[in-house]
Amino acid sequence: MEPVISARQLGKCYRMRGLGPPTLFGALKETLRRRPPNLFWALRDVSFDIPAGRTVGVIGPNGSGKSSLLGLVTGTIQPTRGAVRTHGRISSLLELGAGFHPDLTGRENVFLNAAILGIAREDIRRRMDAIAEFAGLGEFLEMPVKHYSSGMYVRLGFAVAVEVDPDILLIDEVLAVGDLAFQLRCLDRIRDFQRRGKTILLVSHALQTVEEFCHEALLIHHGRVVASGPPPDVILEYIRHYMGEGGYLYTQEFGTRAVEFEQVTLRDGAGVETGVFTAGQALHVDIAYRCAQRIERPVFGYSLKTGNGLYLYGSNTQLAGYELPAIEGAGVIRLTLDPLPLLAGNFFLSLSVHSWDHAIQYHRREDWYPFAVRNPTQEPGLVRLAGTWSQPPAG
Amino acid sequence: MIGRLLGHPRALWARREMLANLVSRELKARYKGSLLGLCWAILTPLFMALVYVFFLRLLARGIPLETVLIGVFAWQFTANCVQSGLTAVTGNANLVKKVFFPRQVLPLAGTLANTVNFLLSLGVQTVLLAFLLGARGEAIPPRAALALVVLVYHGLFNYGLSLWLAAANVYFRDVQHLVGVLLTAWFFASPAMYDLSMVAQVTAGRPGLYDLYLCNPMALIITAYRALFLPDAVFPWGWNLLPAALLPLLLLLGGGLLFQRAQRNFADYL
Repeated sequence: MEPVISARQLGKCYRMRGLGPPTLFGALKETLRRRPPNLFWALRDVSFDIPAGRTVGVIGPNGSGKSSLLGLVTGTIQPTRGAVRTHGRISSLLELGAGFHPDLTGRENVFLNAAILGIAREDIRRRMDAIAEFAGLGEFLEMPVKHYSSGMYVRLGFAVAVEVDPDILLIDEVLAVGDLAFQLRCLDRIRDFQRRGKTILLVSHALQTVEEFCHEALLIHHGRVVASGPPPDVILEYIRHYMGEGGYLYTQEFGTRAVEFEQVTLRDGAGVETGVFTAGQALHVDIAYRCAQRIERPVFGYSLKTGNGLYLYGSNTQLAGYELPAIEGAGVIRLTLDPLPLLAGNFFLSLSVHSWDHAIQYHRREDWYPFAVRNPTQEPGLVRLAGTWSQPPAG
Repeated sequence: MIGRLLGHPRALWARREMLANLVSRELKARYKGSLLGLCWAILTPLFMALVYVFFLRLLARGIPLETVLIGVFAWQFTANCVQSGLTAVTGNANLVKKVFFPRQVLPLAGTLANTVNFLLSLGVQTVLLAFLLGARGEAIPPRAALALVVLVYHGLFNYGLSLWLAAANVYFRDVQHLVGVLLTAWFFASPAMYDLSMVAQVTAGRPGLYDLYLCNPMALIITAYRALFLPDAVFPWGWNLLPAALLPLLLLLGGGLLFQRAQRNFADYL
């Protein structure tokens, strides 16, 4: 099938001009100095094809070129090299409330914004109630938008943008705004778009969202596509190799280092070292440690967070009743989760070792070990609960 | 060719709803917050005209109020378009960076909003003139209706100017300061608060200078309004008006081409 979005050797180069807006004087100075312009390639040699009906997530550190890519697909910026071709009507959710005028009321701005996005006035008039309801604005619709909260502003923008009914939907990080209820409604709309066979290009730092919604992910780093494929693999690649540079998750490490983690290996049920696990199978964590001195009654602990930073579970040897009298020299301790109760997603493992009374942290690594889980079953959610069904006899 | 002259009319026509909405946004936003609303559009040039008449009396240059009124109202239309043209793209940076549409819509919307304004002020001007002329037992001649033809030409000139300024201000942000200074100079070089008879007096004996003065399209446009509205004014037909008549068309053509070329990189410079 013919791709809906197709990019060939796409490149975008910016001329770095220093700080401040461009001026005539500045241009004159540049010309007199005859310095070669300072070039910056925001995107380089990017090629991909997206067939109809696919949802593709674009991930990468800040400044890696994700937004430039969306700009090129929308047509707001022109490529320096190569070309991008699109088939069908494009709407982007990257301009929520762009073009809203602060002095106009919400209703007036809906008409204005709709016209900018190319929706016929009649369509909007018919859908006005639905828009107002979706945005949850009530009587605020007749108030100038300058009095709106930022949440109301974005909600109204989103409500209009999804009315465009595009063939291609571009989404840039907009799902991070608004309260939880609104976010869920947005995600619902996006699922609706997916069901109707629309093509979606989604830029997000919320890896969990990419994981959950996308058929495929592109990892961009320094303007190049460094990985592409199934979301869990690409996300894991991202977390492992590129997250340090301005990623949203903050790994940290501290402790006295009386005991130190030397090497931590994640293994699957067969004992093979991996970063991708299967829901319901075993996960082993082999923690090789080294002690500077003899440590009485140490406690090893771990915790798990989702890719969005949601704290899932934490425990330690003390709570588990696995008492270690003393350790010294080098050794290995193994943590086993079998069966792994997590479903599909990206997760972070934190490890710690501290004294029995929790007073001394020997070594703690927060969010240090990323891993992905694939779920071969159709069960939705984050964790598997051991539920059973039955039909109790009446009476 | 014609298409380029007007800045791709087909693409603009396809976006007429957006255009209409932007024009009404301009107008609504301009007058919503202020108490006197639309009145300011008329009061500003009116006050200006009164001030000029007062000072010209002090300088012992007796220019009738009607003459100054027509000149200042017409000048205000162009001055407003220069201002809205400068910020047409830079002031909508958010939109330009994020939504794809023919960018010509932006300067055109500004020009059209100012045209609506000017039409209203022309109405007020007509009433004032009828009153002023009536006091002397005169009346506005029927040919004043042709002012609408001049207005179309005037509007096209302003749109051409807006195209140039809108594009230039994206690439060089200090253009707006430069234009501020040049606009003042242009005002004094245009027959807004005086008329051509005074120019003829000053340049007497140097016909080359007089012809050079007439190259200014605003000289032509303002003089045309006066010749239509004032019963005893005569339009100074002559070949020396040809440059001023052609200049707006060249400006529009050049502006259309330049803007089309420049708009590709707008998002990079905003």
